[in-house]
Amino acid sequence: MRAESQLDAAWQYKAKSGFYDELLTPDGQPRPHWKMLLETLDSIGPTDLERRWQEGRRIIHDHGITYNVYEDPKTTDRPWPLDAIPLAVGGDDWAYIEKAIVQRATLLNQILADLYGPQELLRKRLLPPELVFRNPAFLRACHGVKPPRGIHLHIYSADIARSADGGWWILGDRTQAPSGAGYALENRLVTSRVLPDVFRSANVRRLAEFFKTYRDTMRSLAPAHRENPRIVLLTPGPFNETYFEQAFLARYLGFTLVEGADLTVREDRVFLKTLGGLLPVDVIVRRQDDSFCDPLELRGDSMLGVPGLVQAARSGNVAIANALGSGLVESAAPSGFLPGLCRHLLGEKLLMPSVAAWWCGQTGPQRFVEQNLANLVIKPVFPSFGKQPIFGAKLSAKQRATFLEKLRAEPSLYVAQEQMALSTAPVWDNGKLTPRHMVLRVFAVAAGDTYTVMPGGLTRVSSSLDSLNVSMQGGGGSKDTWVFGKGPEPQITLLRQASSSVEVSRATFDLPSRVADNLFWLGRYSERIEPAVRSARAVMRRISQEADPSNSAGLDACFRVLAALEYIPAPAGEKYSPTEHESAVLDMIYDSEARGSLGWNIHQVRRVAWLLRDRISADAWRILNRLDQQFSADPPPQALRASRALELIDQVIQILSAFSGLVMDGMTRGYGWRFLEIGRRLEKAVRMVDMLHAVIGPGASAGQLEALLEMADSSITYRSRYLTSMQANLVVDLLLVDEANPRSVAFQFARLNEHIAELPESQSLTRRPAEARLALSLLTTVQLTDVDELVKPDADGRLTALETMLTRLARDIKLLSEKLNGSYFTHAVASRRL
Amino acid sequence: MFYRATHSTTYMYSQPVSICHTEVHLEPRKHWRQTLLEHSIEILPEPDFQVNRKDYFGNEVTYFAIHAPHTALTITSRCLVNLPISELPHPSLTPPWETVKAQALDADDEASFESNQFIYESPLVTIGAGFANYGAVSFQPGRPMLEAALDLQHRIFTEFKYDQRATTVTTPVEEVLRTKHGVCQDFAHFMIACLRSLGLPARYVSGYLRSGKDSIGSEASHAWVSTYCPGFGWLDFDPTNNVMPNDAHLTIAWGRDYSDVTPVRGVALGGGEQIIDVSVKVVPE
Repeated sequence: MRAESQLDAAWQYKAKSGFYDELLTPDGQPRPHWKMLLETLDSIGPTDLERRWQEGRRIIHDHGITYNVYEDPKTTDRPWPLDAIPLAVGGDDWAYIEKAIVQRATLLNQILADLYGPQELLRKRLLPPELVFRNPAFLRACHGVKPPRGIHLHIYSADIARSADGGWWILGDRTQAPSGAGYALENRLVTSRVLPDVFRSANVRRLAEFFKTYRDTMRSLAPAHRENPRIVLLTPGPFNETYFEQAFLARYLGFTLVEGADLTVREDRVFLKTLGGLLPVDVIVRRQDDSFCDPLELRGDSMLGVPGLVQAARSGNVAIANALGSGLVESAAPSGFLPGLCRHLLGEKLLMPSVAAWWCGQTGPQRFVEQNLANLVIKPVFPSFGKQPIFGAKLSAKQRATFLEKLRAEPSLYVAQEQMALSTAPVWDNGKLTPRHMVLRVFAVAAGDTYTVMPGGLTRVSSSLDSLNVSMQGGGGSKDTWVFGKGPEPQITLLRQASSSVEVSRATFDLPSRVADNLFWLGRYSERIEPAVRSARAVMRRISQEADPSNSAGLDACFRVLAALEYIPAPAGEKYSPTEHESAVLDMIYDSEARGSLGWNIHQVRRVAWLLRDRISADAWRILNRLDQQFSADPPPQALRASRALELIDQVIQILSAFSGLVMDGMTRGYGWRFLEIGRRLEKAVRMVDMLHAVIGPGASAGQLEALLEMADSSITYRSRYLTSMQANLVVDLLLVDEANPRSVAFQFARLNEHIAELPESQSLTRRPAEARLALSLLTTVQLTDVDELVKPDADGRLTALETMLTRLARDIKLLSEKLNGSYFTHAVASRRL
Repeated sequence: MFYRATHSTTYMYSQPVSICHTEVHLEPRKHWRQTLLEHSIEILPEPDFQVNRKDYFGNEVTYFAIHAPHTALTITSRCLVNLPISELPHPSLTPPWETVKAQALDADDEASFESNQFIYESPLVTIGAGFANYGAVSFQPGRPMLEAALDLQHRIFTEFKYDQRATTVTTPVEEVLRTKHGVCQDFAHFMIACLRSLGLPARYVSGYLRSGKDSIGSEASHAWVSTYCPGFGWLDFDPTNNVMPNDAHLTIAWGRDYSDVTPVRGVALGGGEQIIDVSVKVVPE
């Protein structure tokens, strides 16, 4: 056993008096279940731990582990705050927690079954009717709906905390759509990589088994297709606080991530709208609040939902987890009634108490609350009333008076909870260990006729020792949670299993139209950047060699292209002034706030990719994060802008090609991949046509042509093929009609035709759809072109033939994009109330 | 008295609706004063799916969906009911209203338990001091329940102005208190708000009124109020016409407020602009 002095000297850890410390006993001795972890930390030492933890932070960044902060308008997501030191939970503690959580989940499920059924508990006054009848979370439309196998509560989570005397208390129940299990798993993936040695030797219990049960339970709920049920995870969308987690879980468990608009009810069955048509849905894992799930029978002002969903559930054709209406038991107010309910329903003593709560709807408690306001946290009685908790201790005299007035007017709308003296656990902070207050979120999932508890959980810590607020929104952090097994843990590789079953057997058919739309745009946005970057590079190279006369012609061509691509403003007069435009090009590179700048465009790519989090490989996402970071960094000082630019651009080009390579390689050759490809090819064709249009004119100089080839990434091909000086007809041939050149317009058209021929609409044998006809006409137009005729000046000395041709191509490509949109992406027709 | 009633609702759209899901509360409800002899619902175009059920409050609901594109939707409900003249209690014989309040809160028998559901705020009816103050003028201490409720009904009838342009289906009940203008639905919601703010059970009744020269609201759906009085059951009040509904008020459904018993409610995909035409005809047989 270690002595206190070591902890004190090397790690500078001191517990805070008056609170239970998870690591140290009151006499300063480490608790036995921390032994192995502490020994490992000692052998690593603070310096090396810091180095290892940098690696941990890099993994978090690369995995893009984030959560959204509603109040922050600047970003939609923030990196996930994880602490290096896991929370170790002792064996006796865990055995107790596990039993108590199973009991509580069982109890809450039975309460739900009664309240949405016979309501005996209300008639017998074991629960005041007001807490149900007045609660907006009591969904009358769902009364009498019998969920499959009688389970209302499939996933349950509770926030538990330890008081000064070491006892555990329930702070709150999550029964609506509990979040955090996915973050707990991500925390595990990161922490186990930073502390791999002790993680293995200490026999930390693995989380995979829990998720396997989770998936098995969801499969077992399917009313039909029991061999291969279609399970979807219903998300409120990318702007939800925990969207990252929802996308991660969907990937991990092999469920299709869907939004309400991806689903439709026909007769009384639920279907997924996909490119291949409507596919039946058997199980909906719900992360959207139940009242938003059906605008017909639930909240009519919500357009997030699926009209007819309640009827489908009522008919028993779809299982919804958790059942609609399960948010009813999330209120803190009934906690005082739980011991009685537990005795009545289970014939058992309630194992873990709820933190003391006073519902002001009863006169005794109301008086108590008024007198003890300073020691209480006041919450609205029904969480859906959405008001923030009020910390009695923080109220000024005036605020206190105002609040008491409100409380007296409507006492039954408030519930007061004791402000618990939360226990402390060590966190790694600036080279030392320091205590923070903590709350542990634990999870249970229905398994057979009981529940299984995740061996671990999501530990959340306060942002400072003075604060008892552990919420992420309030700046708190999180920890991995270690529970120890008796022997080595078996390896379960859920991740590989899940992803392979999705990729191979299902992804192609389950592609929601919305996702195809997003993939198409991801393709377009990512290809929009490359020509700009290459053009900017061509500019930067030429600027550093001002003396060469052919350079100014080349520069002129570059400026024209950049203006045509709308990256820099068009010239005020005929001519481009190098100095003025050089600075415009630098702005385009560095000013990532400006619309149309490089940084802005890269941000667009990331935004669309974000919507596709469950479809893009972790590696591709990592690369994209790196790309975005290049442009989020502060720009260099004015004097260095030009010299740094070239370096930055080279990096961007490398990262971009790695990104498209990974996305393309990592995707199965289904419809999703085709739409991504179609988007890319379309964008490449548009850009090349724009570039040709901008540069090729009567008497285009060698310098201009050379710059064009460079921007089009075809200089090497040109030289190896022609070994001659620059000729406009040869350049146009290579960039427009040469199907062997992967940069040429013709090459893009050929690929577009191949992809469009494989789309569902093209499978009809009778008639070629509009988009296929258009793509074919584009390809044959360039194939039939006589380049020499095209670049021959007419009587006025203008290249009219080329101009007409390029204008027509640009117009038809745009039309093709619209046709594809009309055939495949028109899923977004708004629904409305009668 | 026997009545035949026809209630038809037509939606016309400027663009086709590709799919609609609709829920209707149109079947007259049986209760102590009313028997239902015949009822049918005709829907055009014919639904692809249709199912009947009872809602939480015991009303009959028809849910239907149409999957084929359509530019018009007509729902016609026809019924034959018997509504004999019933003897209504003498106001002075009813218990003091404080007793009613206490029983609804205690809810220790099945009928009071049922009434307990109707003493709280609901989606369209808020409760608060403004409504309680207005109601308290009628609900003097110790006054018999029915006498006080009739007085409240009378005051609303005389102090509020019937005005079809003043409100919509979503006008908040606070605004009705402020402007003292509205239609039957607003007066019903307002009276319910007053009763509930005093702790008394009150529910919203949707139905029809026999056509006649001197009654308001017979050309469309009508609405009134019902409150529970131990020993006497649920007693109805029509503040729009200042009468206790008897043999001229045909009950369709009841709930906490309009949102629980909306006659026709639906969600449609597409449709563009829409025009709605509603007609109700109630003729004695």
